[in-house]
Amino acid sequence: MHARMVVFTALLGFALAAHAVTAEDLIAKNIAARGGADKLAAIHTLKLQGQMIFGGSFKLAYTQWLKRPGKLREEARLQGLAQVQAWNGHQGWSIQPFGGRRDPIPMSADEAKALAEEADFDGSWVDAKAKGNVVTYLGTEDVDGTNAYKLQVKLKDGNTLVVYLDPDAYLPIREIARRTVNGAPEVTQTDYGDYQQVDGVYFPFAISSGPKGSTPDNRMQISIASAEANVPVADAVFAFPATVAAEQGGEP
Amino acid sequence: MKATISAALAATTALMTTPGVLANGTAWARYDSGAISGLGARNIGSATMSGRVSAVSAVREKNGKVTIYVGAASGGVWKSTDNGTTFKPVFDKQPVQSIGAIAIDPSHHDTVWVGTGESWMRNSVSVGNGIYKTTDGGETWQYMGLPQSEHVAKIAIDPRDGNTAYACVPGKLWSDSPDRGLYKTMDGGRSWSLVLKGGNLSTGCSGLSLDPMNPNVLFAAMWDFRRKGWTFRSGGASPTAKSDSGLFRSADGGRTWIEVTPAANKGFPAKPYGRIAVTIAPSNPKIVYAFVESTHSALFRSDDGGKTWAQRDNSQNMVWRPFYFANLIVDPTNPDRVFKPDLTLIQSTDGGRTFSQVGGGAHGDFHDVWIDPTDPKYVIAGDDGGLWYSHDGGNKWWKANNLPISQFYHVSVDNDDPYHVYGGLQDNSDWVGDSEYPGGITNSRWENMFGGDGFWMFADPSDKSYLYAESQGGFLARINRHTHQMQLIQPQAGYKEKLRFNWNTPVALSPHDPDALYIGAQFLFHSSDHGKTWQRISPDLTTNNPEEQKQEESGGVTVDNSYAEMHDTIYSISESPKQAGLIWVGTDDGNLQVTRDGGKIWDNVVGNVHGVPAHSWVSWVQSSPFDAGTAYVAFDRHTYGDEHPYIYKTTDYGKSWIALVTPANNKGIRGFVHVVKPDILDPQLLFAGTEFGLWISPDDGGHWAQYKGGDFPDVPVRDLVVQPRTSDLVVATHGRGIWIIDDITPLRHLTAAVLDTDVAFLPARPAVQRIEAFGGWAEGDASFTGPNPPDGAVITYYQKSRHLFGKLKLDIYDSDGKLIDSLPGNVRRGIARVTWSMHVAPPRVPPAAAIAGNSAQGPRVVPDVYTIKLVSGDKAYEQKLDVALDPRDPFTLADRKAQFAAAMKISGLFERMTDLDYQIVAVRDGARVRAAKAGNDAALRKRLDALADKADAIRKQIVATKEGGAITGEEREREHLDEVYGAINGYEGAPTGYQLARVDVIARELDDTAKAFGALRAVDLNDVNAALKAKSLPEITVPDRSPAGAGGMQGAGMFRDRDAFFEHD
Repeated sequence: MHARMVVFTALLGFALAAHAVTAEDLIAKNIAARGGADKLAAIHTLKLQGQMIFGGSFKLAYTQWLKRPGKLREEARLQGLAQVQAWNGHQGWSIQPFGGRRDPIPMSADEAKALAEEADFDGSWVDAKAKGNVVTYLGTEDVDGTNAYKLQVKLKDGNTLVVYLDPDAYLPIREIARRTVNGAPEVTQTDYGDYQQVDGVYFPFAISSGPKGSTPDNRMQISIASAEANVPVADAVFAFPATVAAEQGGEP
Repeated sequence: MKATISAALAATTALMTTPGVLANGTAWARYDSGAISGLGARNIGSATMSGRVSAVSAVREKNGKVTIYVGAASGGVWKSTDNGTTFKPVFDKQPVQSIGAIAIDPSHHDTVWVGTGESWMRNSVSVGNGIYKTTDGGETWQYMGLPQSEHVAKIAIDPRDGNTAYACVPGKLWSDSPDRGLYKTMDGGRSWSLVLKGGNLSTGCSGLSLDPMNPNVLFAAMWDFRRKGWTFRSGGASPTAKSDSGLFRSADGGRTWIEVTPAANKGFPAKPYGRIAVTIAPSNPKIVYAFVESTHSALFRSDDGGKTWAQRDNSQNMVWRPFYFANLIVDPTNPDRVFKPDLTLIQSTDGGRTFSQVGGGAHGDFHDVWIDPTDPKYVIAGDDGGLWYSHDGGNKWWKANNLPISQFYHVSVDNDDPYHVYGGLQDNSDWVGDSEYPGGITNSRWENMFGGDGFWMFADPSDKSYLYAESQGGFLARINRHTHQMQLIQPQAGYKEKLRFNWNTPVALSPHDPDALYIGAQFLFHSSDHGKTWQRISPDLTTNNPEEQKQEESGGVTVDNSYAEMHDTIYSISESPKQAGLIWVGTDDGNLQVTRDGGKIWDNVVGNVHGVPAHSWVSWVQSSPFDAGTAYVAFDRHTYGDEHPYIYKTTDYGKSWIALVTPANNKGIRGFVHVVKPDILDPQLLFAGTEFGLWISPDDGGHWAQYKGGDFPDVPVRDLVVQPRTSDLVVATHGRGIWIIDDITPLRHLTAAVLDTDVAFLPARPAVQRIEAFGGWAEGDASFTGPNPPDGAVITYYQKSRHLFGKLKLDIYDSDGKLIDSLPGNVRRGIARVTWSMHVAPPRVPPAAAIAGNSAQGPRVVPDVYTIKLVSGDKAYEQKLDVALDPRDPFTLADRKAQFAAAMKISGLFERMTDLDYQIVAVRDGARVRAAKAGNDAALRKRLDALADKADAIRKQIVATKEGGAITGEEREREHLDEVYGAINGYEGAPTGYQLARVDVIARELDDTAKAFGALRAVDLNDVNAALKAKSLPEITVPDRSPAGAGGMQGAGMFRDRDAFFEHD
């Protein structure tokens, strides 16, 4: 057979295979694989703790709080200072203390979208219609040697996620986010692994993220050491802070 | 646990040392692309020479930005959404990378059609496999068919209906094919109909233009052409021979066509024709331009929609090499302004009557131009040197320095540290570049050393001040790399003799004599004195077929006799590293010759190779570095229209050959083979580069897998070399520059047995603590920078499947068994790599107004043997890691240990400082809390406030406390210590005496501060506690130490009860 005919046939085969599954099937299998809709819905808050590594050798303590509906706060701590990013459901803000300022600053709407998206810990493809998201099955694609199912999620906020599901476990192993920030496109690749159950629901405990095409050493890696579901978390944790001291432990 | 680890390690080791244990027919079933691609790869460019751009399309968006799509001749599609400041390759996952045409749907800019297969039909042109379409701006692509088209010249979209489009397909270059002509789709590309076909099987479509105001009107140019290894014709076989080239017009959307002829269309030139380019002026469709290659090649213009024509310009840059430059671009706002790409770019502003050269400082050999309809002064052009921008209407040009689409033919390396990479490129000379450089491999880390089209290039092994570089036709020079002074050393012809040097003439160094080199014409030449003298050491080794030596008749309508068609030449040379004088030679006309006595006797052994048709081009012959009688040969038959791979091996000096890869059993290899080489250490490891990528065999050609690491695309791989010291595989792509797969040692140990294990460590080259240095400077975002190798010890292991559940980590232990670091694992399937930075934990530093930057990173461990424990779920595996100094370090191991000891001493000092600070804060805050609760007891509150203030004053001797983010200049003991820590940590040799003295000074100052705090505790605190006690109030306690996490990356201790504050409803 001619070389290019082989390619064509392969593509045809791919196309046929692509029709065998649907986005709805994959979403259902993903929810089931994570532990089921009921267990997922039973998680109202989530606290994840571990470490963040960037540049290959800089390590910071990492904590993330999530709370329904759609609230998130994450902190990276070093030398008693906590870099904070948060989304309270309506507004994003941050504290960048390492350079000497510890007052909170509001985020631009574009930048905050990434936090808002992350705050949806069910996954943007779950209850997509109600959220205003549109999910499309795009076939399969190789992810580092694993032929993964590919779901495109066009988000209500205008950004697009492509989620790659493991073909056996139906859990996300990669996510490509295409976002527009200040009018310019940003493409971020996030890889997931080390899934562990928290109150019966699987969450990734290894997260590696960076601009698409960046070398592994240039990605930010988060390793979760402990996770707790339904820890009481005050809404004030996510709100734009009224005082600095409470955010930074009163130091110095 | 220890026993478990040991057992796992033993089992792993046993499996790794018995490679045959599963070496049966299915043993390699797990060997595939996913298994090997985790080694990664880094593209070091460069974009400074860039490479041939075959198609350019762009559109001004509503927001004012310009979206640009660039089609590389053999390097994919690149998209910019910021007017060229940055580009991303958007076509890399497709199976072909040669681009012929790009068309943006005018009514939906995210819909883009790409025709694969460049149509500028030079000898080295790559091939495509049809049409692709994206409807989301290049994020995803749909294959739209025409698999046999091989080349696409133009695509036109009906502006009224994006589902209607035309594809102008020249078709196959090297063979007859019915799959060529003008195709039309009316259903978005799902089906195509051939609406205009040529009169014979070598005539396809070369030019297309659609009337934007009446899209039922279109002109199509048909081209009769053919290339063979030894000749080319554009049109018929001679300037006056019959040709089926012609220009056609349709007024009904391609249903019917009328040929434009001199009889019916006054002023149109007489047949026969070669290549024709045609374009309708968008702003006035009555005006049509056609460049017509004929015995009187010229530009013609019609002002009545093609009914009548008038000859216009016929200057050299109008008529030169039509097969390479037949394109016309009319200003969309001005029908009299026309660009004609050629050797240089020429422009007419008077309707084609006169043209001026406007190529300016661009590279030259232009192919495509885009003119901004909203600002016609803004012009983007593509040529053999890349992409260019003009803001003055096409006179002066900015170069795009961010397109690493360079087309290397060959690559070599030296043994410097870091080693350099040498190679020659299509129309872009011969360059030497860095494999590694502080700050990254920027464009400026590459240096041009020669000119013309570049091919073989080597460092002179006997004199580092010199190198050899070659351009087309064996034009060889020895060049001083410092002064660039060159001496041409190409062997010269004898009396009434013509030497036949191939376009890509082989040059080879001798593995036995650093002063020697070989070059091949039809004879093999040998020099033992750097090219000062040459000896012919062979008779004519080719078939010497006179019918294949008529290059002066080549070209068809327009004579074109560059070295590109020179034939019956030597094309590949390889001297055996195991036996001096054992030399293999392959020729482009199918001979495979070997001598075992330095050239006295030659034996043509090609007849012993079964299954390869006679006269097949020997693209590569490679003697084995392990055995004198062993060699590998690749045949490339694409010049006969056969694009299948052929790879053979002999172990008996060519008497018999084993078919490793054939069309009947291609073992997954796709495309014609350019290069086949064994590894330099593992005789089982084979590499093959084809027109569509890189393939690797772990078992001497039995099984193959395509290498896709680091997003390596399906790009032509023309050459490769293993750097002996680093074991890096350096790959020369013809379209995407040089790629380096750092350290292929793990591949040498990827046995069938390992592939069948769940998890196994793989050996790697020794871990070296490379000098950590700064380099480079801000270049903006519009410049390419190639990445360096990983900065650390690269730990490599194999996983049978992707790690999904449970913890995957690598714990690092020192030689005392102490855990010194823990890293997240790499979850990917197959070979997986993790880089350990080799830094211990940073010092614990007391919190202050800002971060102490130097102290955010611990010092690098000292060279020693470390233990890596890979924890995968509930299993663990161990491996030793030997860490060594960088051989370039100007200091000893003892110096290095002294530096580490000094850094750790400072860490200890920081530790003391952190504890002291914590104690002081405990007193200060304890006093403040109690003062706030003192109620009406003003005297107590005053004493508490005084205590707090005194404690705070002592603390301010330790840390800077002025917040606000400004440059406060406030430096206290912490900041002083951070500064000297940075100085000592930044250089890994022994610290200076004054640095150590400075540490001692700060230690004394900290002692003083501690004494002051001691006095506070002994007097003030005691008094206050006594008062508190007297009032039955809780005393202020001072912790002995700060919590373990305080001050370091944990930092939790410094937040005290804050988390408790957070976590309530």
